[in-house]
Amino acid sequence: MICNLNCAGCPLAYLCIPLAIGAFIALKRYRGGLQKKRLASQLSFLLISNAAFVFGATGLIYTYFYCWESPYALMACPIGVLEHAFADRSWYLLVYLAGLIGFACIIFGRAACGWACPIGFLQDLAKGRRTKSKLDSKMRLLKYAILLAIPPVCYLTEKLAYTDICPIGGLTATLPYLAMDPNGYTFTVFFIPKMINVAGFFILIFLMTRGWCRHLCPVGAMMAQFNKISLLQLKYYEKKCIKCFKCAGVCPMQINMPYDNRSGECIRCGKCIDICPTNALAFEFRW
Amino acid sequence: MMKKAIYLVAALIIFAAGANIAYDSVKSLNIARCLGCIAMEPKAVKFEEFWVEYPDHYNNKGIPPHPDWVVNASKQKVVMLFFWGPSCEPCERQWEAMKKAGLVKGSEENGSITANFSYIQLFSINAPYDDEKGEAIRIYTPKGDTGTPTTVILFEKNGTIYWYAFSGEANGEGGRPDINELINILEKAKEEKYDLQS
Repeated sequence: MICNLNCAGCPLAYLCIPLAIGAFIALKRYRGGLQKKRLASQLSFLLISNAAFVFGATGLIYTYFYCWESPYALMACPIGVLEHAFADRSWYLLVYLAGLIGFACIIFGRAACGWACPIGFLQDLAKGRRTKSKLDSKMRLLKYAILLAIPPVCYLTEKLAYTDICPIGGLTATLPYLAMDPNGYTFTVFFIPKMINVAGFFILIFLMTRGWCRHLCPVGAMMAQFNKISLLQLKYYEKKCIKCFKCAGVCPMQINMPYDNRSGECIRCGKCIDICPTNALAFEFRW
Repeated sequence: MMKKAIYLVAALIIFAAGANIAYDSVKSLNIARCLGCIAMEPKAVKFEEFWVEYPDHYNNKGIPPHPDWVVNASKQKVVMLFFWGPSCEPCERQWEAMKKAGLVKGSEENGSITANFSYIQLFSINAPYDDEKGEAIRIYTPKGDTGTPTTVILFEKNGTIYWYAFSGEANGEGGRPDINELINILEKAKEEKYDLQS
């Protein structure tokens, strides 16, 4: 039996307690047919992401952001693999990463951000405020800048430069290790910067809806451009549209809906589809 | 349609080609728990004496299943196993500190012991990538994990293997020895081995 109902000292407590709390909050917040399915998908992927306690660690790579130093990480972090490719000069890792991300994104676009990513799930639960500053469009470019900076910095320093300060690593690896064994570890020099970034991450996701995805996520930046060519498309039927702009009001990425339905920022969450009173928006698989 | 099909097939070919050569490497990197990367280092038990069986802070009990290559080497010399990982900063810092102290020379990958410490047989092991020796790290980490760096000192006397190990950088923190203490432990191992042989 996996659970003995004694969370103190249980290595899986760090996973199942947030899972239970998350599911409880989410059931009240996820309204609409697609959203219930999305919740089921996000919970499933949260479990799959940590399934190494059943299957052992694999050589696959997540197509979303999750830390492979997490105690029971099943797959590898795409940014970690990118860093290793440049820091260790292991170029063959790039081929694998590009093929895997390319294959998944040509089919689904950036849907993994909306349907699979545990960090996206956390942001959906946080339900950040809908604020749109004048700087928003420029701030969205930050994630591309981070993605473009990682290869040269890792190549020149021969270090996993982003890992050292990664807030997702801090949240999904450092804190679980600390929770599992509070007295078993000492802290390195990167502990404080990492925790500052974790705090910053939480401030960001409470201040802005999907603030991490919109502005800082390098994996999102990696996948964004596939939205225009992916098989899964968010179709907009203009003739059906009554221009109520309810879709724009619910979009967590605050895209200019319904006109920017092919935007690289779209995470295919389907909230716009659920709220549209005339079915002017729909997911379609198109060759 | 044709364009998307070409994209998809191209991505599939790249993925398949990449997986063919990279899957095992990524798996090894995924298995390796670089605790330095997450800004944490395991605490160690300060050296007091060499162990024969697993000490209390290990999950395992009894005599460790030392690999044959360790057993064979420990019959000849004091053995030092240095398990490191690529891009592991604490590993690199420890290597550089050992180099500065005159214990080792060269790089982690092609390093060797210096003439002053010729009584030591060094195995510098790239834990995630070394298929032959890398897995041995699990024997010597308290929780049977693959956290790097892990340093192990062993010697054999009268058929018994005596050992001491710690995970994390040898920097004097968290109960771990610093480089000078590490050298003292190696010297102690040498003395005990010679005492028994003389």
